[in-house]
Amino acid sequence: MAKLLHVEDLNIEFHDHLIPETVVYDFDLDMECGEIVGLVGESGSGKSMSALAIAGLLSRHDMKKRGTIQFEGKDILDCPRSELRQLQGDEICMIFQEPLTSLDPVKKIGWQVEESLKIHTQLTPQERKEKALKALADVELDDPSRVYDSYPHELSGGMRQRVMIAAATIGNPKLLIADEPTTALDVTVQSQIVDLLKKINKEKNTAILFISHDLSLVSRLCHRVLVMKNGYVVESGNVKEIFESPKEEYTKKLIEAIPKCEAKPDEKDDEVNMVEVRDVCVSFTRKKERVDVLKHVSIDIKEGEVLGLVGESGCGKSTLAKTIIGLQKPDCGTIIQKYPNTQMIFQDPYGSLNPARKVGLIMEEPLRNLTDMSPEDRRRLAEEMITKVGLTPEYLSRYPAELSGGQRQRVCIATALMLKPRLIIADEPVSALDVTIQAEVLKLMDKLHKDMGISFLFISHDLRVVHQMCDRILVMKSGEIVEEGNRNDIFMNPKHEYTKELLKSAGLTNIFV
Amino acid sequence: MKQKRFSFNLILGGILLAITLTPALVGLLWTPYDPEAMNSSLKLAGVSIRHIYGCDNFGRDIFSRIMAGSGITLLIAIGTVAFGSIIGTAIGAFTGYFGGIIDEALMRINDVALAFPSLLLALVMVSLLGTGKYQVMLALGIAFVPSYARIVRSEYIRIKNLDYVKAARLAGASDLRIMFVHILPNTKTVLLSSVMIGFNNAILAEAGLSFLGIGVQPPDASLGRMLSEAQAYMFTNAGYVLFTGCTIVMIILGFSLLSKEIK
Amino acid sequence: MKYVFKKVLSCIITLFIVSLLVFVAFSLIPGDPALSRLGTNATEQALASLRHQMGLDRPLVVRYFEWLFNALRGDFGKSYSYNMTVTSMIADKLPITLTLMLYSMVLMVIISVPLGVYASYKEGTAIDKAIQIINQITMAIPPFFSGILITLIFGMTFKMFTPGGFVNIKINPARFFGFMFFPSFAIALPKSAMVLNLLYSSLNGEKKKDYVRTAYSRGNKSKTVFFKHMLKNASIPTITFLGMALADMIAGSIIIEQVFGIPGLGRILLTSIQNRDYPVVIAIIMLIACVVIVSNLLVDIIYKLVDPRVGD
Repeated sequence: MAKLLHVEDLNIEFHDHLIPETVVYDFDLDMECGEIVGLVGESGSGKSMSALAIAGLLSRHDMKKRGTIQFEGKDILDCPRSELRQLQGDEICMIFQEPLTSLDPVKKIGWQVEESLKIHTQLTPQERKEKALKALADVELDDPSRVYDSYPHELSGGMRQRVMIAAATIGNPKLLIADEPTTALDVTVQSQIVDLLKKINKEKNTAILFISHDLSLVSRLCHRVLVMKNGYVVESGNVKEIFESPKEEYTKKLIEAIPKCEAKPDEKDDEVNMVEVRDVCVSFTRKKERVDVLKHVSIDIKEGEVLGLVGESGCGKSTLAKTIIGLQKPDCGTIIQKYPNTQMIFQDPYGSLNPARKVGLIMEEPLRNLTDMSPEDRRRLAEEMITKVGLTPEYLSRYPAELSGGQRQRVCIATALMLKPRLIIADEPVSALDVTIQAEVLKLMDKLHKDMGISFLFISHDLRVVHQMCDRILVMKSGEIVEEGNRNDIFMNPKHEYTKELLKSAGLTNIFV
Repeated sequence: MKQKRFSFNLILGGILLAITLTPALVGLLWTPYDPEAMNSSLKLAGVSIRHIYGCDNFGRDIFSRIMAGSGITLLIAIGTVAFGSIIGTAIGAFTGYFGGIIDEALMRINDVALAFPSLLLALVMVSLLGTGKYQVMLALGIAFVPSYARIVRSEYIRIKNLDYVKAARLAGASDLRIMFVHILPNTKTVLLSSVMIGFNNAILAEAGLSFLGIGVQPPDASLGRMLSEAQAYMFTNAGYVLFTGCTIVMIILGFSLLSKEIK
Repeated sequence: MKYVFKKVLSCIITLFIVSLLVFVAFSLIPGDPALSRLGTNATEQALASLRHQMGLDRPLVVRYFEWLFNALRGDFGKSYSYNMTVTSMIADKLPITLTLMLYSMVLMVIISVPLGVYASYKEGTAIDKAIQIINQITMAIPPFFSGILITLIFGMTFKMFTPGGFVNIKINPARFFGFMFFPSFAIALPKSAMVLNLLYSSLNGEKKKDYVRTAYSRGNKSKTVFFKHMLKNASIPTITFLGMALADMIAGSIIIEQVFGIPGLGRILLTSIQNRDYPVVIAIIMLIACVVIVSNLLVDIIYKLVDPRVGD
């Protein structure tokens, strides 16, 4: 096979601050036609920068690039813009992480899908439309002609990403660069997009450079993988080799951070309910239409357990959490809590800490409002709790903006501990964090569960995380609990169709066989 | 590059305000001549060493009048912005936080008020309240309330749905505590920049009202009032118009350059 | 269509609220119009009969609806100060002010849009910076001062027009429009600076958006990306501002009429405010409200045409 892409010694440097900052060091990559290469790393590792450089999209004047990028022998870094444009959208195409913002909001889908044909071919409008409709059908969109006449905001996230793929592959490019194409999507949609990319690769022999932080997706799709950290490629090789015998510490850490789904014995605890939710309904009125978010939901939370609640975005799992904790009034039904002071941890550690207040004040807030503890006692307790979550008391005098995502989530956990709750509801507590940080936070929560006997209601869309953390699992879809059972039952013997689909999307079918 | 432009705006804005505000502040205590003392021999006298900006149609020293006049203009601007922002913030905070029917009704009225240019609203207010510097302050203040109310309201609506407000509620904070301890400090960037813009608008609106003769009344001087008097003599003493007008331009330019940096 | 209908309906409701607020506010002002008309030494009897004649002895609600129905037929009552109907006082002044407003609107768009687009297209160059500096200064000039400066420069120094030499359109249309250019320019200048600034910064904001990167990744030329993708998106906030600017133009024209000695609505409004001639004030405010609200309606409709995301 001919060499499609040859990158050697690529360095990228930013110059828009006083001190130049290098984001990519000595990046090497060779790709053959029809090959799928994964580029893995956490946020800030330089993977997206490398991809943008290969696509010829880094043209900012306050940035310096060194090295060579050759696409079929043509140097992308040094060739004039006009020659680069010949390749872009024709031979090299790209899809991005956030399909909503990556599409022009005021142009119809059809126009956008056809755009690269308009630039690179001499087809008539009629021919272009035919090709566009075919491309939309190829990415498995129902009713391509309706999509053709829609605007981006009228489609769902998954449909938009399909449109992006259709627009990128309409001219049969030789190289498709996909920059975190599934990160903004639901699990089942993620898996469909990965299957679609696989299909395109097989049918059109398009080489794909797949950038992701999700190792499990990479392992399903890619032939070869490069692991990046702080701008360096730390390890590269065949997917199988890397996963089975990683050489570098960092790669090992990344792989270990993927929650393992090994069979664990079910632990039987006391069967005493600490929370009983009975027949709860919640509905909102959106654009004069009633939307039932929770439809007669009944659940129990038992003492000392970690209960998992699984479902995709919009299924009502966050609303259920808010209803239990009292932030949302149910339309009907009852909620009985055995213990007071149930606390909650939110998904986005950047939104859940008040940026105008210091960590210490944030942590003391519940004590100030709900107890008559003296300021000294409050401070002492805050120091104790922040040490418990693995930070030092110095953090109490910092502002949230000075902390990293993982540290913020630790502060949130510490704040939740201040009132000594028996139950903490954790709403997607790790989904905004990098994988290695995820693993640390999960470990911390597990430790709190074991040491302090705190129960958790653990809400997540990530089945692997749920499997690692939870004893008992509820599966939720469109406001209803569709399946409930112990971990092993749910994972090894799912009954409901939807549970099976979720497991399949996460690549978790028959893992124990 | 960015570093350089940063200091350029800041320095230029600072210089302009120093040139204009220092005389205004000094003018509160001392002016070279009595700003109201007339002298028929100096009618419309040009620029000289003793009268650096010349004299007006009554032979009054223009520089002294500008010192006193910018003081009144700034006083009115401060009063207007203080009144408008405090009342507006209170209304915006309550309606944004609680929502409901009162919110709907108030916002409806607010939209109507906002559709009118603030100068026109102030005109209506002045015709209801009468003329004079305190009336102007009140009239402009009321005319400015809707814009602050809307800005603060939308900030409250945005912030009240953030997780940290939910967390504060779970921590047992009362509504008032959430509104003023948790949310208010987070509106400061938006509030500060709209106060800066509002300050400029207040100066413009006061000058406009006084220019039309329905703002500050004699013997008080204000920059707009003086400009309106100066206009009649612009063919005989152009300096009068230019010095007064340029003072207004410099104050506004200075504040807008500074507010650019604050953003 | 449903969108337009809804907007029109909301405009009518808004106008109704405005008229109610304005009428009530002016009726509650302390002071007796009959007294001010007859003077302090009028007899109680004469006052009472005048009050009856003016309809002031009837309840507020009745007076409001009577006024409203008359106003809908174009009759705004009689002036307190002059023995004329309000309508006849305003009728020939309104077109002058409207001309001034539309003229300055057109000038504003002609000045600001090309310059804003050009400056953003050439972002970072010397031309861009020059435009920015001039723009910043222009924004700080109050409209009446820009009027005075224009009179000084174009009227006095270059003798391009006669200051105070307003010509009625019926006498000489060409000279009317020639004269009106200068006051319109004075109104348009500071507003153009604001529009320019807004368009410039929203265009620069669009440059960082993801869809621009997508457009480049398809092999578009920079020019195509700028004019085909970014310009339409960046125009959305600018359109909103144009609506507000149109309302501000009215305020501007009231002031500028004084500077240039134009016999428009502004002058009657001011004398009526000083004379406490409320029927005239109310009528003019309502007219301005109509203009403002109708122009906002137009903006909403244009908005809908440009931005498909605006809901029905």
